[in-house]
Amino acid sequence: MASNGLSAIEIEVEVNVANRGFPGFNIVGLPTKAVEEAKERVRTALVNAGVDFPQKKITVNLAPADIPKEGSAYDLPMAVGILVAAGEMPLPDKKKYFYGEVGLDGRLRHTRGVFLLASLAKEKGVAKVFVPKLSANEASVVDGIKVYPVSSLIELVRHFNDDKKIKPLKNLDRGELIEEAEVEFDFSEVAGQEQAKRALEIAAAGGHNVFMVGPPGSGKTMLSRALPGILPELTEGEALEVTKIYSVTGNIEPGGGLVRRRPFRSPHHTSSRIGLIGGGSKPMPGEISLAHRGVLFLDEFAEYPRSTLEALRQPLEDGVISVTRAAGTLQFPAKFMLIAAANPCPCGFLNHPKKACSCLPGQILRYQKRLSGPILDRIDIHINVPFVEVEKLRLETPAKSDTSVMVRQRVRSARQIQQKRFAGEVVPAGRQGIFANGEMKNKQIKKYCQLSTDAERLLQQAADKWQLSARSYFRLIKVGRTIADLAAATVIDYNHIAEALQYKVKG
Amino acid sequence: MFPKRLRKISQAPEKLYYRGVWDKNIFQKAIAVVGSRSMTKYGEMAVQKLVPGLVRAGYTIVSGFMYGVDTAAHKACLAEGGKTVAVLGGGLNRLTPVSNDKLYSEVLDKGGIIMSEYEPDEVAQLWTFPHRNKIVAGLSQAVLVIEAGEGSGSLITAKLGFDQKKPVLAVPGPITASLSAGTNWLIRNGAVAVTSANDILEELGEEMKASPKQLPLSLTEIQRQIMDELDKESLSADELVRILKYDVVVVGQALSDLALKGLIEEAGDKYILNIKDVD
Repeated sequence: MASNGLSAIEIEVEVNVANRGFPGFNIVGLPTKAVEEAKERVRTALVNAGVDFPQKKITVNLAPADIPKEGSAYDLPMAVGILVAAGEMPLPDKKKYFYGEVGLDGRLRHTRGVFLLASLAKEKGVAKVFVPKLSANEASVVDGIKVYPVSSLIELVRHFNDDKKIKPLKNLDRGELIEEAEVEFDFSEVAGQEQAKRALEIAAAGGHNVFMVGPPGSGKTMLSRALPGILPELTEGEALEVTKIYSVTGNIEPGGGLVRRRPFRSPHHTSSRIGLIGGGSKPMPGEISLAHRGVLFLDEFAEYPRSTLEALRQPLEDGVISVTRAAGTLQFPAKFMLIAAANPCPCGFLNHPKKACSCLPGQILRYQKRLSGPILDRIDIHINVPFVEVEKLRLETPAKSDTSVMVRQRVRSARQIQQKRFAGEVVPAGRQGIFANGEMKNKQIKKYCQLSTDAERLLQQAADKWQLSARSYFRLIKVGRTIADLAAATVIDYNHIAEALQYKVKG
Repeated sequence: MFPKRLRKISQAPEKLYYRGVWDKNIFQKAIAVVGSRSMTKYGEMAVQKLVPGLVRAGYTIVSGFMYGVDTAAHKACLAEGGKTVAVLGGGLNRLTPVSNDKLYSEVLDKGGIIMSEYEPDEVAQLWTFPHRNKIVAGLSQAVLVIEAGEGSGSLITAKLGFDQKKPVLAVPGPITASLSAGTNWLIRNGAVAVTSANDILEELGEEMKASPKQLPLSLTEIQRQIMDELDKESLSADELVRILKYDVVVVGQALSDLALKGLIEEAGDKYILNIKDVD
């Protein structure tokens, strides 16, 4: 199997062992270096497994021959072909998939992309797949196929000679696999920051993007690290989508199966554009796709190169990223919750109660300008994360704060309301469905966001007073919808909009 | 034609370039409003509080057209429908700072004057700015310093005011604020501390008129409590939650409501009482 982005192409490995000609081992069909080196791996592995390696002219053809092949997964099918030709095992009767990297001692190694292979097998109606034992859990997530975990070449030979059968893996019960996220911080551990915590609760409930501004040390990073703890668990469908991306990029650990936790990605601001967005000569998903259905945390948001931030526009809008190369266009899913954090000014101490800001007005303006524009316009919730004065906190005994579990319970109920709401939405082909309020377009806003007369009047007042753009106007309604959902209200009321106004764009 | 008051000062400029309509009356009642380039929210509040009253009393605001307090003073004057005089540190064709492009035309549109003692194409230098302060002070009956750090250029204007035997007025600030160090120093050295437009008018020998009191608005209990707390000091939403022991949701709603009513506004990450409602 060769992967092209997130889709797979079936590759047939033909092995011919000719009786005539000089002994040798040739691979044709556009192999890259890793495939070319399979010669040495396979030869040594077979010899070490006690197989009499045929001293004949061996030709391996990878068909279709015009697609470049890369990776180490072709080792196993080559080895099987040689084993059959050498008479060590019979030719398998029905079509089967073999996939995996072989070690010099004949054992099979963890190989990326096994989940994709299993999906392909299901699609093509191939009943049995043989994959390395360490990666087999990935494949067993796909139902309707039999997955044979192979630990070594010898085991495989015995299996086909009916000496000792390999037991196929049971299909994993996906529901049980979904786990709660393990988080570094509980929400109740974050001191102060009441408003920021409430904003994150709303964001988690409605899948809204968040922009946090605050001086260094005010707790932006801590807040975002605590966020996974209040996000709802992955649904089964979501988990499969995420697993696919993780399998292709080799991000699943040996022995791992389904990705069970909502991804939380925090790439550094010096990450390359391709690493972040995806691409490369053989396009691979980037960080934003790895954050699919999860959280993408961009710290020091203003430090990212402008071009990188602008590239975030499409995924923020559509939930996918198109990577176009001369060879064609690929689409990777990238529906993530963006949590962006930035300092208020270059030195970071603007509005700090203790330290003086050493920036000139022009510098601050330039810095804030770098953030403005279309990207900020796509973020629903804007909050200040002020510096917390510890001694003040101690004096004003902090109000009892809710634990992550309590918050998640509220988030979950709000999400359930949303699921029911969007269940009837017709999804255009090639688009992903709507799951949360944050993903609503104007059409859905008009359909689902009923405002009370008071709320409408308030919104109008606010729009007049702060000269809100049409986009911010709709954003306020979206956030108001989520606040209403958290309160289990059908109609968006005055108070919901009043609270939503707290999270509008600052300045 | 040359402003009378300006002719009296020592080393008066020999010539002035200007744009706008030359109207002698504009200099009849004039006060210089100067201060730091890196103005804080406090400085802005002070400008908002003091300048409109001066404009209503018929005063022209003279300032140096730099960013910070100067710009705020020009803007506050124009917003109140007054006329303002900007004295540039460079030639008339060399707009500094460039960000004040719009203000430049607004000053002229509203009948103000932009002037400079330098040749039209002369570029502003570090030393030309303190030099033009002489004209700022010279055109005015008094010098009002809003905010100034130690060694600020506005202290030069203040000193020129003293030299020209004009009242120097300063806005007192917190003793911990570096940008009030200069103004507090001025007060210790003979400047008059002013806290309202009336203080200034009194100093200039104007007769006082009582200003009408604001009508109290109907507020909820929590909104009233928030107003009381903000009256003491500016606070963030989180701090209000902690002090008042209300839920953050309720505080947020109340804050939005108060902000919409124009009673409070956001300054950085804190809320403050809207300055027009403080008197």
